[in-house]
Amino acid sequence: MRSNSLSIGLAVLGVIFLVIGVLYAFGVLQFFVTDPNSPHHYTHLILFVVLAAAAFIAANFTRERAV
Amino acid sequence: MSFWQALFMGLLQGATELFPVSSLGHAVLVPSLLHWSFRQSDPSFVPFLVLLHLGTASALLVLYRDQWVEIGIGFFKAALRGSITTPTERLSMLLLVGTLPAGVLGVYLESRIKSLFSSPYVAATFLIVNGLLMLGFELLRRRAERRAQAANVTQQEREERFADASQISFRAALIVGACQALAFIPGISRSGVTIGGGLLAGLRHEEAARFSFLLATPVILAAGLVEGPLLFSSGVPVGEYVLGAVLAGVAAYASARFLLRYFRSGRLDPYGWYCIAAGLLSLALLTLNL
Repeated sequence: MRSNSLSIGLAVLGVIFLVIGVLYAFGVLQFFVTDPNSPHHYTHLILFVVLAAAAFIAANFTRERAV
Repeated sequence: MSFWQALFMGLLQGATELFPVSSLGHAVLVPSLLHWSFRQSDPSFVPFLVLLHLGTASALLVLYRDQWVEIGIGFFKAALRGSITTPTERLSMLLLVGTLPAGVLGVYLESRIKSLFSSPYVAATFLIVNGLLMLGFELLRRRAERRAQAANVTQQEREERFADASQISFRAALIVGACQALAFIPGISRSGVTIGGGLLAGLRHEEAARFSFLLATPVILAAGLVEGPLLFSSGVPVGEYVLGAVLAGVAAYASARFLLRYFRSGRLDPYGWYCIAAGLLSLALLTLNL
């Protein structure tokens, strides 16, 4: 399914994932963490970078192209 | 943990990680049944598990080294182009889709689930559940074979009527990937549920095993690398643990080679019956405190 609006939505989702990852890494976001006292959560950073990459790939797959 | 116990645990983990019999279940049950005194909740046990997983993942990387190179190249080509043109490119995207749910669920749920279910009684009970799941997967597969009118041919001919790993749908890959999260429960096998999921998605047994092993590699490797810094904690006998990891890798490599050959014509049933028998025997031994 190719649609520019879907592609833009997925790209925005990718950016949101990146921002969440950075917030986890700096310890700003403490949602659902095993140890709330731990200042850095690199596991979450890695996860959200991967999710962001997947969202950008999906955005590239769904964008409309000129034939 | 003594030197010999570390070697034994390495061998056990490597051998059971890829067989559909739950390595975590065995890692919880065997020390309890042998009345070994080390506690798996001990902080020095986590680095040991990390190294064992790195050993297993390395074995899978070695086994599929050529395929991983092709998958890596295919992944970047397809991702940059925004379309899939070859089966390898499709397989690389299926692996990404299959890895995501395990990654999300692993980060957020793994430690919570493991702490809830770390009792040997629970591991033995879920080993029985795992056995029933394996038998259930094969029961459903036999129905699919009957529907495909593949009843009166040899097993190998029957297998040829089913698909390659690169041919399953993205939805099926997502579901198979999510099934990996069940393996956080000691007793439920990660390879068992993913091979079973692959069979239900219409894969040949050998292809379901290959997809399961390929799917396992990034998850096991990532878990090992993320926990890697724990290895540098004080009091960790690195040499002893590394030797355990090497044994785990050798055992995993041999198991994967055996299983890929076995699944050319074999089924999950023997492992299902083994899990039920081992679970029942463990429950009896634990109850009688023998």
